[in-house]
Amino acid sequence: MFGLGVLKGMLVTFKNFILSYFTKERLTTVQYPEERIPEKERFRNFPFLIYDDKPEDLRCVSCDICAKECPPKCITIVRDKDEQGRPLKRPKVFDIDFTICMNCGICEEVCPFDAIFMDHEFELAEFGRFEDLNYHKEDLLKSAEYFAKIRPSDAARIDAKRREKTAKAQTETQTQNPGTGPTK
Amino acid sequence: MGTATNISQIDEGLRSELQKKGIFVSSLEDLYNWGRRSSIWPLQFGLACCAIEMIATACARYDIDRFGAGLFRPSPRQADLMIVAGTVTKKMAPQVVRLYNQMAEPKYCITMGACSISGGPFKDGYNVLKGIDRYIPVDVHLPGCPPRPEALLHGLMKLQQKIDSQEIEKTAWYQKGLKREFPVPEFGPNGLNPPYNPEVFTPEQHREITVG
Repeated sequence: MFGLGVLKGMLVTFKNFILSYFTKERLTTVQYPEERIPEKERFRNFPFLIYDDKPEDLRCVSCDICAKECPPKCITIVRDKDEQGRPLKRPKVFDIDFTICMNCGICEEVCPFDAIFMDHEFELAEFGRFEDLNYHKEDLLKSAEYFAKIRPSDAARIDAKRREKTAKAQTETQTQNPGTGPTK
Repeated sequence: MGTATNISQIDEGLRSELQKKGIFVSSLEDLYNWGRRSSIWPLQFGLACCAIEMIATACARYDIDRFGAGLFRPSPRQADLMIVAGTVTKKMAPQVVRLYNQMAEPKYCITMGACSISGGPFKDGYNVLKGIDRYIPVDVHLPGCPPRPEALLHGLMKLQQKIDSQEIEKTAWYQKGLKREFPVPEFGPNGLNPPYNPEVFTPEQHREITVG
């Protein structure tokens, strides 16, 4: 019969309306600024750069892979140079234009140094466009502890991988020049 | 109009002291801004996937009506806020600008999502407008692809901050002879003409880009 579906739907609405006065689970509204829905671990929003101990020595070596792979091309990287003009393994400029970023997470996937990860931060509304939403290196830096806090299982997996990598590198240097011993 | 701060003429200490004694002090401006920011009626239109998040924001879990902005108006004459939710194609841009022109002052605009701010993933395409701020002034930019409903609520709170900081005597829409009419671009064979409105938009300076 025509309209029966609408009636059924309205019945559900009416049931929720009545029961919301008696049970907590029918009260679906989240009072957002005061209370929040707990974030899922795999939720991703915008990328951030990770550093281990000090903000100066970040994991990024400015290999430019993320900037090349980024589908909307929102990452700008300029490699740093020392006084003689030799390239250094760190970025001088690392800008992510949040007005263009489409939260795909490809930068995180392709990064061979586990230096860029997707963040959970979403309260990013700004009045200006060019100045306020073009995030520079300083704004993007976040610590490894923060990453372990927001995404514990990913952090554990990546830390294990990194430990394995360093151990392997140490044994390789040992086999290549025996006698020098493990470096540091 | 740049970054807004909440300016109040009344001393905060005095106000809280009086509030403890049961006296509420307010200025006409505060009252006016309180009324305005608590009843921002958005224009009911969505252009792409960000509109789905906008609809979700209007539903029971997030409930934009808690901020007084839940009454989506189907007519621009009754709306205060334009949420540009989604990709603005070049064919749609004249209609969006026309709708904004038809809204009554004071009017505000939130661009929601990467596409409406800058063109987003389609910014190199031939058919998508590289940001609606080329034609109309935008108050709050809301990045994300799409922004989650809480992010829209945060953007709305940011707009409320801005409304709070405006003063009756200085607001543009009470000045004499104000006629805010933004020229509607024309969609032709070579895209939109003119490409941007120089009154509201200046093209960004060329960025330094690494090669190789």
